[in-house]
Amino acid sequence: MSESNEEKKDEIQLIFGDKRLDGRRFDELRNIKIEAGILKRADGSCYLEMGKNIVVAAVYGPREVHPRHLQNPSKAVIRYRYNMAPFSVEERKRPGPDRRSVEISKVSREALEAVIMKELFPRSGIDIFVEVLQADAGSRTACLNAASVALVDAGVPMKGMITSVAVAKADGVMVLDPMKEEDNYGEADIPFAFLIRGGKIESIALLQMDGRVTKDELREAFKLAKKGAMEIYKLQKEAIMKKYISESVENG
Amino acid sequence: MRPIVLPGDLVATNPKVAGFGTYVENGKVYSKILGLLDKTETSVRIIPLKGRYIPSVGDVVIGIVREVSANGWNVDIYSPYQAFLPLSENPEFKPNKKPNEVLSIGDAIIAKVLNIDPKMKVTLTMKDKVCRSIRFGRIVFINPARVPRVIGKKGSMVKLLKSELGIQIIVGQNGLIWISGDRKKVSIGEEAIYVIEEEAHTDGLTDRITEFIKRRKSDVGIE
Amino acid sequence: MVEDILVDIKKDYVLSKLREGERIDGRKFDEFRKIEIQTNVISKAEGSALVKLGNTQVIVGIKMQIGEPFPDTPDKGIIITNAELVPLASPTFEPGPPDEFSIELARVVDRGIRESEAVDLNKLCIEEGEKVWLIFIDIHALDDDGNLLDASSLAAISALLMTTVPAERFEVGDNYPLPVRNLPVSVTSLVIGDKFLVDPSKDEVSVGNTFLTITTDQDDNIVAMQKSGSYLLKEDKFFEILDVSLSKAREIREYLKNI
Repeated sequence: MSESNEEKKDEIQLIFGDKRLDGRRFDELRNIKIEAGILKRADGSCYLEMGKNIVVAAVYGPREVHPRHLQNPSKAVIRYRYNMAPFSVEERKRPGPDRRSVEISKVSREALEAVIMKELFPRSGIDIFVEVLQADAGSRTACLNAASVALVDAGVPMKGMITSVAVAKADGVMVLDPMKEEDNYGEADIPFAFLIRGGKIESIALLQMDGRVTKDELREAFKLAKKGAMEIYKLQKEAIMKKYISESVENG
Repeated sequence: MRPIVLPGDLVATNPKVAGFGTYVENGKVYSKILGLLDKTETSVRIIPLKGRYIPSVGDVVIGIVREVSANGWNVDIYSPYQAFLPLSENPEFKPNKKPNEVLSIGDAIIAKVLNIDPKMKVTLTMKDKVCRSIRFGRIVFINPARVPRVIGKKGSMVKLLKSELGIQIIVGQNGLIWISGDRKKVSIGEEAIYVIEEEAHTDGLTDRITEFIKRRKSDVGIE
Repeated sequence: MVEDILVDIKKDYVLSKLREGERIDGRKFDEFRKIEIQTNVISKAEGSALVKLGNTQVIVGIKMQIGEPFPDTPDKGIIITNAELVPLASPTFEPGPPDEFSIELARVVDRGIRESEAVDLNKLCIEEGEKVWLIFIDIHALDDDGNLLDASSLAAISALLMTTVPAERFEVGDNYPLPVRNLPVSVTSLVIGDKFLVDPSKDEVSVGNTFLTITTDQDDNIVAMQKSGSYLLKEDKFFEILDVSLSKAREIREYLKNI
């Protein structure tokens, strides 16, 4: 979904029998790699690869908010910045926020705001910065997954974990976690984020869509997204455990 | 061994047992932070592994003076909230003095949290024997979530460090720790504190620290 | 945005009414305010429409120019959607570059029109790879009494329906009506706990900016969705809202057919 051209072309074949262009099954995620706590200066951080996406998230806070007038006397102010590096895409991206990243930052922030216990930290601020170092399809979902791990790593109180994944419609089939070609030439893109609590998917924290789908296809999309989200959740959890496991090991 | 829990992990089904680091929704008790699960029949709490220092009344904190005003001093206590020490709460202040003659920008102090208003305005006091302005010694900083282990059960760990090394230690709840005494011994104390921070939640820590101090003392050549 | 204190006062009233199963203006939960559409209100524009949704007023003007196509779509026209939340429309709007609210508004309206393929962009090519028509959809809010988004979507498609391609002015042939072949309609609901209200008024929004917008086309396809605001939505609630959005969109589409 590039800013310059969101028109879709359909001359590329995306589905081959029960396989996709990159050999995945319809309900299969791309390779995901997650590492928690990789930045020294940030209170919490995360490195994440999702297919060809490479993103790094950092969390600072709760900390003082400047300027003062931005403070909220009853809760922490949450800021979220989705930012694409100029070298992250085929054609160099002009640095700084464009309309697409402003919108992504807004809906991503709102998804996290719904689970961060911000009322525990009046007048303070929690800043979440996510840098897209390499972009493939679904960079907003990769960023949210990284941000969620970074928030946990920072010790920020939350209702649960946020896990995000997209579903696309490609050649009339609903497919999980679309890569670039499915996003560009597919008929629809539906990014989801869920609150996971008590080991289960509980509710929707982010939902967007563009394209063309029927109600039944949407039901199928929910099914796929929930399956994918549970798998990603396990990887998020593993990454955090890996960093902190020494804390709980008996050693005497 | 205490298991690690994440935000949203179900830790109990009886709301009455919900303790620190947990929250209750629809009768279920969930963890709200990353931490170690400390669960007994009667209580469930989460020992945090990370997180900024959030002030609480009565806490001893170490801070740095950031601003001097006609009414007192603004003090950075390494939390989301700046603290204020009013003139009247500093026994060293006398009416014939100017505030910056008593404490000026950059000075370090040990103080106690006197009050926190609903808007999280933090007021400090120095009217306590533990409080002082710091003019010598060393300040070290550790993850505030590890402070309880540096203090130890009923102060046992601090006592151990003090007696084994013959140094003075005051631990700020905000993760800043003041150490004073013989330079070499202070250095060993500082190293020991970092070991405690690193291995905060492991068993047999006290024994290992005793060992560590002994070894370092003989390395440096002190009795 | 500055807090609008007057609106804040309404919050308790809205919530207490809601507990009795009522809306403050007496509407049903799935009822839109009165819709009025005036077309061709700006003669300088290629097409225009003023939409009133209750007291909310939005004007959309369409301007067209000739420009270069995108390299990957050399034979297609281009749609560019912009929204300006000008300070005259609300005490909370401030002058300056577009903020995240106006960007989101423009992008959600844009998605509905683009993804429903409402405008046949293939018929807007003048010279392949060289010259195509650029369609500027400019959304101008006049009075924000809630749900600017649906008012803007309606005004945008109404204005497009009225648009004449100004070929003569650019000396590339005869004027012709813009080829519009689908009628996307957005339906925005305010989600409050386990309830939802379609077409929320500003007073109702005092309980929180927690919206779900679903845009559907004339074949009941879903073409755009946007969950906006920090809240958690249950899946079954989502599908309830979807059903209501589909049926409301069908009703509203009848208005469009009559303009």
